[in-house]
Amino acid sequence: MSNIPVSAFLALALILFCIGLYGALTKRNTVIVLISIELMLNAVNINLVTFSKYGPAPSINGQVFALFAIAVAAAEAAVGLAILIALYRNRKTVNIDEMNQLKH
Amino acid sequence: MDMDKLLSFDWGLMAPEFLILGTATILAVLDLFLPKKINRQVLGLFGLAGIVAAIVSLVFLLDNETGSILLETFRLDSFGKAFKLLLLTGAGLVMLLAIDYKPNEGMEEYRGEFFYLFLTALLGAMMMSSSGDLITLFIGLELLSISSYILAGIRKKNTASNESAMKYVINGGISTAITLFGMSYVFGMTGSTNLRQIAAALLNVDDSQQVYILGLAFLMIFVGLSFKLASAPFHMWAPDVYEGAPTPVTAFLSVVSKTAGFVILIRIMFTVFTALPVDGEYSQTFLFANQDYIGFLAGATMIIGNVIALRQRSIKRLFAYSSIAHAGYILVAFSAMSFVMFEAIWFYLLAYLFMNVGAFAIIQLLTMKEGTEDISHFAGLYRRSPLLAVAMAIFLLSLAGIPGTAGFIGKIQIFIGALMVSPAHYVLVSIMIATTVVSYFYYFGIMTQIFFRPAAHHEKIAIQPGTAVAIIVSAAATILFGIMPQLAYGFLESNFKAFLDFLA
Amino acid sequence: MELLNLYQNNYLIVFVFLCLGVLLPVVALFFGKLLRPYKPLESKYTTYESGIEPFHDSRVQFNVRYYIFALMFVIFDVETVFLYPWAVAYEKLGIFALVEMLIFVVMLLIGLIYAWKKKVLKWI
Repeated sequence: MSNIPVSAFLALALILFCIGLYGALTKRNTVIVLISIELMLNAVNINLVTFSKYGPAPSINGQVFALFAIAVAAAEAAVGLAILIALYRNRKTVNIDEMNQLKH
Repeated sequence: MDMDKLLSFDWGLMAPEFLILGTATILAVLDLFLPKKINRQVLGLFGLAGIVAAIVSLVFLLDNETGSILLETFRLDSFGKAFKLLLLTGAGLVMLLAIDYKPNEGMEEYRGEFFYLFLTALLGAMMMSSSGDLITLFIGLELLSISSYILAGIRKKNTASNESAMKYVINGGISTAITLFGMSYVFGMTGSTNLRQIAAALLNVDDSQQVYILGLAFLMIFVGLSFKLASAPFHMWAPDVYEGAPTPVTAFLSVVSKTAGFVILIRIMFTVFTALPVDGEYSQTFLFANQDYIGFLAGATMIIGNVIALRQRSIKRLFAYSSIAHAGYILVAFSAMSFVMFEAIWFYLLAYLFMNVGAFAIIQLLTMKEGTEDISHFAGLYRRSPLLAVAMAIFLLSLAGIPGTAGFIGKIQIFIGALMVSPAHYVLVSIMIATTVVSYFYYFGIMTQIFFRPAAHHEKIAIQPGTAVAIIVSAAATILFGIMPQLAYGFLESNFKAFLDFLA
Repeated sequence: MELLNLYQNNYLIVFVFLCLGVLLPVVALFFGKLLRPYKPLESKYTTYESGIEPFHDSRVQFNVRYYIFALMFVIFDVETVFLYPWAVAYEKLGIFALVEMLIFVVMLLIGLIYAWKKKVLKWI
């Protein structure tokens, strides 16, 4: 498996990150936006694990960092979804473009 | 690692953090097991006591030598101590506001959470200010952010509060991901998450491709953190979140959160990116080569914040834009990178803390009383309550930067810092002067309402004790540091020795 | 180099399967369209041709309570991520990590007590 160049992993992470960013900025449904943010965070994990194995200066720290990133991402997703549920109960919508109450 | 090693660490260095963590945990358990009929304000007082205890323990630590525990992940240097003092003071004042906060709807069953989430957010900010590792920096940042998301949306039945929390989560999540992506590149190029080891490794980087990737990393980290600072063009979330969040939370976001944002920005930028040479040995360091980007951001932030603030009707939105503008002023100090930068930023944040918390205390009083946030409700405040009107005038004058107030001294310090480096930042300084003049319009607009417009009704305003203490402390400090800034600078000089141990 | 060949050969098989997978439905659908008679009637367009009237939305929403369990699961599930490496390296880490883990588990426990007292664990 070691024949796959490091750049392939990094490119994969970058592509995932860009897909996530695109989704987060364009999608209407808030759940999909939250999933896109997860995608961006997971792209980071791929990066970290790759660097910790094949990087110019390999070290285990990257994997530890990835574990922390996973835990924090889960917490963030949970809080985001909980807030979305509270919003849905009051407004009966999960569409981003209908969240326009606060405007000057 | 065995028991001896465990006990050999100087755990006393972390005493303030332990106190805050302990208080938050005890509050959480107490809130669950206290009977329903006991007023939850007691918990707020307990939290306040915890913060005061943490301040006291930090004061005892001031004389300590710079030290680090847990394999260099936690580092108590003068930078950490100085900014932790700011964070704790700010959080203490905000806690006073929170105790007196009584919204009309939507928060009855969450009083307890309201208090200890402030403490966990504060804990995150404190961890950030004395961390020496990318992982702990990131965890601190997220602890602060996630607690603030919940705080912003804590009025569960209020649609404005829900919406502001949702916007905050989405913007915060994206910015976290961007910052983290940048950090992953920094880790990849150096193979370490420890800031000092990263700096040491970066000194030897001479491969131009690696420098290129690190440039990308710099840009991503900077963009991600700009979201947290709410500097233009990444400021769009701030007005909505500030408007929808409960008033004490707004005060917390604009004071503690912003201070923490600058803390992490300085930590990462100055330890990591000053070490990186642009091309080859002995060349310019990376951070200095990219000063222009930061300068541009500072200029844009000042202009956008101040100009859009002109046409706001809601007082909380107006203060959101004003806080964006103040972030711009501090970024001027950051981008100048003079050798008084730390002092300038510290003092400005100190002044900003007092004037902003004071102003928010009065805003909270009025908006709770009137039920709306329109500026016109400040009309005739002087007739209704002369003392409040004078206090508000002090805070507004200080925010505008009129001589005799702390805000003025802070601005002057930033001016001098930006002019004494070579080449001097004339453009930034002139933008700063021009936008300060623009800011007079909206600050004095509120003053006109307070002093010269007739009041709609003459109902007296009852001031709760906590808010009163917050207003008095803030007003006294604003004037004291305006007239005798040498007090603060002397304190800095004698205790922190010009932050020399930041890089050492 | 041999390994690389093997590796690429594996992908060849995947490619063949991909082609087959695409080809099969296309061919089947195409021939089906070619061979079958086309006589549309209105009664053929109802949901159930057997004559039963469809009565509500075909999309069923799950009870929102499942969602709270799911959230709890996500949080506690991910926290075990920290327990696993600790358990693997327990022999080397010793008492220091044990104390740290105890603090960590107590924190988690407080979270669980919180959920319990807020009646999240109860199915009402």
